[in-house]
Amino acid sequence: MTFMSIPDRVLLAGLGIVLSVVFYVALMVGPVNIGIGKAVMDFLAEESSMDSLILFDIRLPRALLAMIIGATLGLAGAALQGLLRNPLAEPGIIGVSNSAAFGAVLVFYFGYSNFAWFALPLGGLLGALASVVIIFALVGNSKSVVTLILAGVAINAIGGALIALALNFAPNPYAMQEIVFWLLGSVANRSMNELLIALPFVLVGWGLILYCGRFLNALTLGEETAISMGFEVRRLRWILVIGVAACVGASVSVAGNIGFIGLVVPHLIRPFVGSEPRRLLLASTLGGAILLLVADIAVQLLSSGGELKLGVITSLVGGPFFLFLILKTRNLML
Amino acid sequence: MTVKQIILIITVACSLLILPVNAIAQNNVLPVPQRIVSIGLCTDQLLLMVARRSQIASLTTSSTDQNMSYMAEAVGDIPLNSASVEEIIPYKPDLIIGSHFAARDTTRFLRQLGYQVKLVTLPRTVEEIYGMLIRFGEWTGNQARAAAIITRMKREITDIQARYAHRPEKSTIIYSPNGYTIGSNTLENDVLKHAGFRNLSAEMGIVGFKKISLEQVIAARPDFLQLDNHVYNRNSLASRYLGHPVLNKVVNEQDHLFIPSRIRACAGPMVTEAIGYMAAKR
Repeated sequence: MTFMSIPDRVLLAGLGIVLSVVFYVALMVGPVNIGIGKAVMDFLAEESSMDSLILFDIRLPRALLAMIIGATLGLAGAALQGLLRNPLAEPGIIGVSNSAAFGAVLVFYFGYSNFAWFALPLGGLLGALASVVIIFALVGNSKSVVTLILAGVAINAIGGALIALALNFAPNPYAMQEIVFWLLGSVANRSMNELLIALPFVLVGWGLILYCGRFLNALTLGEETAISMGFEVRRLRWILVIGVAACVGASVSVAGNIGFIGLVVPHLIRPFVGSEPRRLLLASTLGGAILLLVADIAVQLLSSGGELKLGVITSLVGGPFFLFLILKTRNLML
Repeated sequence: MTVKQIILIITVACSLLILPVNAIAQNNVLPVPQRIVSIGLCTDQLLLMVARRSQIASLTTSSTDQNMSYMAEAVGDIPLNSASVEEIIPYKPDLIIGSHFAARDTTRFLRQLGYQVKLVTLPRTVEEIYGMLIRFGEWTGNQARAAAIITRMKREITDIQARYAHRPEKSTIIYSPNGYTIGSNTLENDVLKHAGFRNLSAEMGIVGFKKISLEQVIAARPDFLQLDNHVYNRNSLASRYLGHPVLNKVVNEQDHLFIPSRIRACAGPMVTEAIGYMAAKR
């Protein structure tokens, strides 16, 4: 791929403009036609008209959630690719998302989420954390793509099976059919409540990951070099892992497992930022937000009843991209 | 004439003799069943209302569920079954009654074993409930009791409608977990009509059960909302769906209609209670 490294400021500003356009479009799209101007005026006049209710209570939380979760997945993908020094690493592929979903399912369907607001994202975090620790134990410092992907396949399968098992024993009669939500993800019909529940964990996770930017840069030169440069590799690695687990876990706990965003985004961004993982982080955050918002707009345009899940779209785009990456990195694998 | 032909003639003659007798047995001389087994929650309740206690051999285990069964109190010491063939046979039933959506394998198997199985179709109007009660009366030999129930229902509905006739018609939407609503061609729709409500979902052109989005509910601007959140616990996305804060903003919480499952779960004489409750809210 050709590198045409653009200054950070220009790149981030460009992505920011695209993001605001996409965000505005997301607010306009929905089953009912509303006037955004009228909605805002009514809202400011504290009048709960149809337009303002739809805009502020339904579309805004949905768009914000899509944005924040997309950002999380983009950032986590970039972080994991840097941390594992592996271009195919991604929360969905290596099984982190499914494990997070399992943690959230346990909390949600067995009533523990009624005890405290943070129980649900905490469940997601713990599930995600468990899988990252297992991945590290299995893959360690090996740069082998094959080991990572195979470990991911196994953890994904176990995670999916555990989700199904938990839902099967859940006391609510609707539980089992909701497996689709957890495996494919959706931000439909979510309210500000879900956003507020996830946000603290997401922000902490982002902070921890961004804090490790320079460490990720050093890591590209190898672990020994990073140590010799004065980085406390063990500690920073844990910070990164906990950061990924916190933001991915919380995101999955309110929107299910949305695949491939974390894989696609860093690869799309990389040509513009060169080989510096630190620069990749912020740009991937914005890129992920854009991509998931676009996917959610597509979901709404394609299905009026909101039946289609987000993961369907992201996987349809991301799956072939994944294949393309495998072809590209085949030499690495052999 | 060959032996074959003789046998054929005898067979035909016999069947001609037997056929009418069979027909009579099935239609007219049917004895009043004395060991009736119900294999559905709704038929449990209808049996308790229409049949005499001595005729009931067994009801389903859900008949005693206070949340779901309108007649839970009346079950008393009647033996319970969980609608499996193995459990039903020992009662030696002379009539098995269930709903049309009862497990088809079970009813087919019971019929193959020679049991008399009657299935009730789901009524879609109050008028069809009367029809169902009449049929129930005929099956169980309690025509007079069924007729009395129908008379009482009609009187109750007339009274309710007269009492609230001065109040204007109001609009409502029934909203169930996962965003399903109930349109025309349903009992719920007819009950709303009897209670003086316009069903906005039916006016949107929805027939039967269909999903609509939260945005459509807001855009429809109903005066009242009937949220059907009647599962045992709310720990599922489907149930939480109805907890979306916007629903309380569209319609004030005091204008949410709540009809308990024990009244709503089945079609029967208890619809008058639902009609009365809703009309009073109007």
